[in-house]
Amino acid sequence: MSKPLIQINHLVKKFGDNVVLNDITETINQGDVIVVIGASGGGKSTFLRSLNLLNQPTSGEIEFEGTNLVGLSEKQLDAVREKMGMVFQQFNLFPNMTVLENIKLAPMKVKATSDANATAKAQKLLAQVGLADKADAYPASLSGGQMQRVAIARALAMEPDVMLFDEPTSALDPEMVGEVLKVMQDLAKSGMTMVVVTHEMGFAREVADQVWFMDQGIIAEKGDPEQIFTAPKEARTKDFLSKVLAQ
Amino acid sequence: MKKYLRWVMLMILGFAAAFTAAATPVHAADDSLQKVKAKGTLVMGTSPDYAPYEFLVNENGKNKVVGIDVEIAKKIAADMGVKLVIKQMDFDSLLVGLQTGKVDMVLSAMTPTAERKQSVDFSTIYYTANQDIIVNKADAKLYKSAESFVGKQVGAQTGSMQADLVKEKMTDSKLLGLTKVTDLILALKSHKVEGVVAEEPVATAYVQNDSQLALIKSGWSLDPEENGQAIGFAKGADALVAQANQSIAEIKKQGLIKSYMKTAGKYMTQNTANTSMFHYWRFFAKGIGYTLLITAVAVVIGVALGTLLALMRLGHVKVLKALAVAYIEFVRGTPLMIQVMFVYFGIGMFIDIPALIAGIIAVALNSGAYVAEIIRGGIESIPAGQTEAARSLGLSQRDTMQSVILPQAIKNIWPALGNEFISLIKESSIVSIIGVTDLIYQLKVVQTATYKGVQPIVVAMVIYFVLTFGLSKLLGHFERKMKHE
Repeated sequence: MSKPLIQINHLVKKFGDNVVLNDITETINQGDVIVVIGASGGGKSTFLRSLNLLNQPTSGEIEFEGTNLVGLSEKQLDAVREKMGMVFQQFNLFPNMTVLENIKLAPMKVKATSDANATAKAQKLLAQVGLADKADAYPASLSGGQMQRVAIARALAMEPDVMLFDEPTSALDPEMVGEVLKVMQDLAKSGMTMVVVTHEMGFAREVADQVWFMDQGIIAEKGDPEQIFTAPKEARTKDFLSKVLAQ
Repeated sequence: MKKYLRWVMLMILGFAAAFTAAATPVHAADDSLQKVKAKGTLVMGTSPDYAPYEFLVNENGKNKVVGIDVEIAKKIAADMGVKLVIKQMDFDSLLVGLQTGKVDMVLSAMTPTAERKQSVDFSTIYYTANQDIIVNKADAKLYKSAESFVGKQVGAQTGSMQADLVKEKMTDSKLLGLTKVTDLILALKSHKVEGVVAEEPVATAYVQNDSQLALIKSGWSLDPEENGQAIGFAKGADALVAQANQSIAEIKKQGLIKSYMKTAGKYMTQNTANTSMFHYWRFFAKGIGYTLLITAVAVVIGVALGTLLALMRLGHVKVLKALAVAYIEFVRGTPLMIQVMFVYFGIGMFIDIPALIAGIIAVALNSGAYVAEIIRGGIESIPAGQTEAARSLGLSQRDTMQSVILPQAIKNIWPALGNEFISLIKESSIVSIIGVTDLIYQLKVVQTATYKGVQPIVVAMVIYFVLTFGLSKLLGHFERKMKHE
């Protein structure tokens, strides 16, 4: 029995009158790879960004490693966020820094790691994502797939307890999706807890421990990939899957 | 924006009200003479662009104010047993200088008109000069006296008694008022005006030093008591006035003015012995030094202040936000010239700030407002994803701003910042009105000393261009360095 890492209680997020997350209560256990799928506008990204409070919930609780994050000060949140790595659709690398500097920045600033240690660690991570030769390149000279792999390495440099992926392959040219998914798959195998918002159904099927289908601000259905993809119970899950799998 | 508007207006009005209240002078018992004696210095304010009364000479690389008025002031100081200190400022700023205690007395060939008497006190008249009219030599035959200028444009110094005389006695002529005699002479040579009214010693000096000019007698007989020159003092400084009157009486009795004129004449020939611009390089060099100093310090302070204001404006603390908006709007909404005068004379009433420091402060405070808006624009131009990525890594707000946002923002705003720095080099010239000896000030000094109007302008123009072009190249170098590709 694995222990809960993130406990979500009655999470509600409203933008004005628009209810984006409608009372979600779920548990994410240590080592889980959870893939969140669903149509655009279903609240997937908002849900993910609520987990590290990049989006402030309207009400409800996010308990991470036993601490409720809602209501913490920005300073207290900084300490939490370093344990929750995040990868963005648009990579968000820092264009004014080299690849190596991108990865070293947070360990040196936040954890006061020495330059030498941070560099060694960064080089190891770059090798892990297959970009050892790009250490001194600037982001502008990289392809999308390379940038996203650097972004993953950058998040991993903080040695997080969970990795949040917000549509990590949506902005990539099709031929580059594979290289990023491969890195993510390796990461999952290593036992990292992961929450992945994606449209890559193949990845969900192969890598996920659980697939959550989100619709209209709630987790409409969840289950292991086999069950969700072959025998969905909910009509709207069926409807969504028939649309995306037909493509 | 709207919700801050009330805040902003309140702050500006409150500030203005508080200052007006504080600046209202309070008349105390007259201790003017004791004060001067106690500090051991008598500070004379003058606008040294009016040879032979007051003008600058360069001795051993240092500028020195000399002239008839300076000799008189020396005598007064000696009679009091104190040291004479000379503060240079624009003629228009002299009376403000008196009222705000920047100077103890004003000797600048000033006529005690009724208007001036309302704001300051005057000594007895120490000298009365005839009024002459300077014309182009080629036109000398056309004019015989002031009456010959019917229907013509005539020049005189703004706010001077000559300007009043033109209005009063040459009712059929049109008056062109300019601040400097040198500019009036340029206007004469380019036929913007046909004659320039000036007092005899000044007019004579110009005609003697410029073969293209000639002198016409005005033919006015003027009451010496109304048209002479006197020393200005702060209102109520009766003891000082009395002391000065004693010295003036002695000067008159002993006929000292004549020897003062001789001394001034010697200095004038020293100035005009060699009127090549190269001979005056020290003047320009000093001007460049001050212009660069003011600009450099103002850039550093302006950028620091601008960054602070931009962060205040973008932050979440409402009071700080309103404060920043109020500051930026107010400073951008008032002319730099007024700000310079406000810092020097206004703030100067409470703390004695030297002109150079006051000039630097005013220019820096002004630049800060503009830089703040440039930086705000730069910060807002960075995508939100950059902040999100940094914060998701655990970077604090401060580290995010410092390591991620600002470096990118500065790269984006570099051309705009460069514009601001370059315009600072030029706009800093406004400090010349409070007597800071920057390039523009020195340009006028050289014009006065050499009786050449155009050449110093050309020299200054070339110098300004070299300075700004050099800075532009330097900025371009850094811009290339910041490109990450």
